[in-house]
Amino acid sequence: MKNTLRQLFHSGKFVAGFVIFVAILLTVFIYPLVNPGDPLEMIGVGTFARPGTYVSLYDAVRTDTQTLRLSEADDNRIAKALSAEDRVAMVEWFTTMGIDVSDLDIDDTDALLDLWNANYDPSIKPQGMTMAKRNYYKRLNNSLQEIRAADEIILAEPDEESGALVKSDTISKTDYVNVSQVANVKNLPLGTDNFGRDVLKELVSAAGTSIVIGLIAGTVATLIGLSLGLLSGYLGGFADDFIMFVTNVFTVIPSFVLLILISYSIGQEQRGAAVVAVVIGLTSWTWTCRSVRSQVISLRNRDHVNLSKLSGHSMIRIVLTDILPYIASYVVMAFILQVSTGILSEAQLSLLGLGPKTTETATLGLMMNWAMLYSAHTNGSWWAYFPVILTITLISFSLNLMNTGMDQVFNPTLRD
Amino acid sequence: MGNVMLEVRDLKTKYVTRFHEDVYAVDGVSFAIEEGKSLGIAGESGCGKSTLALSMMGYYFPPLHYISGDIIIDGRNISGMKPDDVRKTILGSEIAYIPQAAMNALNPTQKIIRFMEDVIRAHDPKADKKEIRERAEARFAELGLPKEVLDKHAVELSGGMKQRTVIAVSTILNPKVLIADEPSSALDVTSQKMVIKMMRELMEKGYIKAMLFITHELPLLYNVTDDIMVMYAGQIVERGTAKEMVFDPMHPYSYGLMNSILVPEEGTRGNKLTAIPGTPPNLKRPPKGCRFAERCKYAKPECFYTAPPQKPFDDGRMYRCLMGLDQLKEVYSHE
Amino acid sequence: MKGYRKYFGKKIIWFLITFVIAVILNFFLPRLMPADPVAAITGKMASGMTDASAVQEIYKRYEEEFGTNKPMWQQFLLFCKNAIRGDFGTSFSQYPRKVSDIIGSAIGWTIALQLPAIIVGWLLGNILGALAAYLRKGWDKVLMPVSLFMSNVPAFGMAVILLVVFGVNLKWFPIAGGYNFDMIPNLSWNFIKSVISHYQLPFWSIVLVSIGGQAVGMRSMSIYELNADYVKYARFLGIKDSKIVGYVFRNAMLPQITGLALSIGTMIGGALVAEIIFSYPGLGSTMYSAVTAADYPLISATTLIITVMVLLVTFLLDIVYGFIDPRVKAAQFD
Repeated sequence: MKNTLRQLFHSGKFVAGFVIFVAILLTVFIYPLVNPGDPLEMIGVGTFARPGTYVSLYDAVRTDTQTLRLSEADDNRIAKALSAEDRVAMVEWFTTMGIDVSDLDIDDTDALLDLWNANYDPSIKPQGMTMAKRNYYKRLNNSLQEIRAADEIILAEPDEESGALVKSDTISKTDYVNVSQVANVKNLPLGTDNFGRDVLKELVSAAGTSIVIGLIAGTVATLIGLSLGLLSGYLGGFADDFIMFVTNVFTVIPSFVLLILISYSIGQEQRGAAVVAVVIGLTSWTWTCRSVRSQVISLRNRDHVNLSKLSGHSMIRIVLTDILPYIASYVVMAFILQVSTGILSEAQLSLLGLGPKTTETATLGLMMNWAMLYSAHTNGSWWAYFPVILTITLISFSLNLMNTGMDQVFNPTLRD
Repeated sequence: MGNVMLEVRDLKTKYVTRFHEDVYAVDGVSFAIEEGKSLGIAGESGCGKSTLALSMMGYYFPPLHYISGDIIIDGRNISGMKPDDVRKTILGSEIAYIPQAAMNALNPTQKIIRFMEDVIRAHDPKADKKEIRERAEARFAELGLPKEVLDKHAVELSGGMKQRTVIAVSTILNPKVLIADEPSSALDVTSQKMVIKMMRELMEKGYIKAMLFITHELPLLYNVTDDIMVMYAGQIVERGTAKEMVFDPMHPYSYGLMNSILVPEEGTRGNKLTAIPGTPPNLKRPPKGCRFAERCKYAKPECFYTAPPQKPFDDGRMYRCLMGLDQLKEVYSHE
Repeated sequence: MKGYRKYFGKKIIWFLITFVIAVILNFFLPRLMPADPVAAITGKMASGMTDASAVQEIYKRYEEEFGTNKPMWQQFLLFCKNAIRGDFGTSFSQYPRKVSDIIGSAIGWTIALQLPAIIVGWLLGNILGALAAYLRKGWDKVLMPVSLFMSNVPAFGMAVILLVVFGVNLKWFPIAGGYNFDMIPNLSWNFIKSVISHYQLPFWSIVLVSIGGQAVGMRSMSIYELNADYVKYARFLGIKDSKIVGYVFRNAMLPQITGLALSIGTMIGGALVAEIIFSYPGLGSTMYSAVTAADYPLISATTLIITVMVLLVTFLLDIVYGFIDPRVKAAQFD
């Protein structure tokens, strides 16, 4: 046992898979401690807030200000204010003016502005340019000048008695606040989803739930597959024929179809995460059963098993002491694969609208399903679906790596 | 003295393990076989006899590596040749090999005739399909194999038939030297006999000029080959005629080996059966002195640090021991 | 020859039994659902009606039409009788369209999408796996982990990524449907062009996902075969390495056919979900809308058709494999 473990940890693939999986597990356990709270709390109003750090404007205004003179501040403002279309339009203007723009970098705000200030004149009316377009250029020019102007923003509050606005403060362009002094700062590294939930928090909790679903599905499938495989392989004869018949039927009928049918027939109300996990387990035991059976058949007539039989040991004892230890590695490998298929099956079911019906927990499949229903993929909200795909892939990749590593340790012909 | 067909001079090869350790599996082997003669190689498993067979082909792929020495087939030294030239002009046509596990030696999804075509065309790319078939059928008929076998897949043949097919395919190009590595060990007695008969026929008809027969079954060698060579830990410890080796072994190891088996001959019935205690040395770090010293009943202190040379006698016999012939005879007489 | 017939006979009987079990499961499981779809459809039809007896009348009429007033076993016999004629009843959600009609218009899309995609994925995967096994070292070090990683990207994930990268961002291909929504299916060049460009993203997402798994399997099969005794023997007979590699890959590839037969069910599951992502007008999308609308005649017919397709493919692959791999021939036909 100890030796096997040592061998396993000599396999690069196993170690890589193990490290990734443990890292995911640790995140699932530790992140909620660092960032406590309900993962499904809808903190955002509206859908799909971008990833980033959110500072309360209200609090920021009331936080003590410091004066910083940052020379590039104006440029940054302008760079932020100039949209990609504006930049293209500016270049268009230059070309109509007959200026060579071949070595102008469109993202170089400084160069663009220099050229603009030198060449733009609102009184010029280039040939063929519509009135609307000319007005657009005027507006663009004005807004650029405004950003440069040193106006202060005046804050006013309504007077409690008269209702008239009273100036309370001014904010100049050189006023800055220290973010750490602002009362309410929210870090949303992965933004919010369609319900306004913190995606990262939800993702961590969903990964946890999905792993549990995978573990339940894997346990159910392995228990059924192992016991049927043991019975079939050890007893042989009619029991073997019958069990293999059932196994073959359920290998050929796609488990995905069965999964859909069973999930559907259970009905929405009963379909919690645990139920879905059990259903997945119930439809995916055939692989384990097959491989356990063939292992048992090759063990059945080994000397030590025969010796045990001759010694009059009971079948249960023979199976437990003379057969199970020899197939343990295969069973563990099959279990690992079942866990990863379980996680994937849940995600696929959820995308079909047959996933767990629950509002209390998130699963990776449900997150994916909601992101798709709210067209996150077509409106550019990558943070709502990409981390989910990546998490599913990484969990399943790490489990499969471990499995491959084990395969190489236990089947030496595959060794490099 | 006939023409020397195969001569091996001080051949050294090694295995490189996964952990980059060298295992000196064949360490300075020299011998020769004359035309029309057969030589048997015997030894415990792991003594390097199979490795010697592979090393003699002059064609190495990992983990086996060539170190030094000469392999001369009918006057032609192949040890310095490029691997691709060896493949084209030597393998199959000059020297042929029958592998240890002939059961799995044939590609399961290929018909025997297709494989025969591949073998012949590897040396004569322009060979005609019809001619190849005629040639194969003629050879099969001559060796008493049904020609239907040619159109079957390996999986459809029985074990004995597979082995005989392998021999027929290996010798289709009339190689000068045939190396057979345990060709009959996995077979039942009847098939074993047929295989031996077939190899004898090949020799008698002159399709092969010399044969090297490797086995751990000494009684078999006594019946099949002219000479016997005993290997221990990558080296030859003794060589002599079959009769001499079985009834009058000289080297302490051969002596022990012969006493540990039953030879079905008159007079051996009453002999004591003894096993040689101990295990062969680790070839990653071969001992400095005699390799057998640790297990040798008669070892003297100098045996542990002086490596004995290969000593030839005038009558073609040779052995590798520090003790003289008379000394050994003297020692054995006290047994 | 007798061996062949026995082999086929056994296979056919076996597949027929599986088929019957599949039909039974497909019929009964969706009907175990607690909701009453007839009530739902009556509610939809009778919305705005105030006369309770008129509503009752409508309910009765639909019950009759869908046969839900009869006992389950009678419904089943009726279902079988009609199914043989290709009639799977009327859809609840797309009333009064016939289920067979809906499926008829979807099945072609699914077959045209998935069959070539799975075959191409299988071929490419096998070639890559064989290369990885043969070249080893550098190639293997890169190809292996990449293939393993790729094979773990779920089909829908690959679909979404391709859709976003090549559809939304690069705008190379359209992102939804089987053809331009403003077109009416016909045989014009424009329509075919539209179909082809809509085909690309769903096709490649299925191909990319199946490549990885096949490559990993083929690699280990090839490594196993490369170490086989016949390789060593053929080398010592002077046969060229390129020829021997041919033997090895043939031998490694043949069992991959069974591998395909065994995994086709799983692959189709993933591919159907990929269809949903692209709103491809195939069976996956049909099933999705059937599930959302609790339309069980449509669900059971769709799943039945998918099962039958998988059964047929598995059966064909089994037969083909039995013919071309002499190892199976020797084991099965005598």
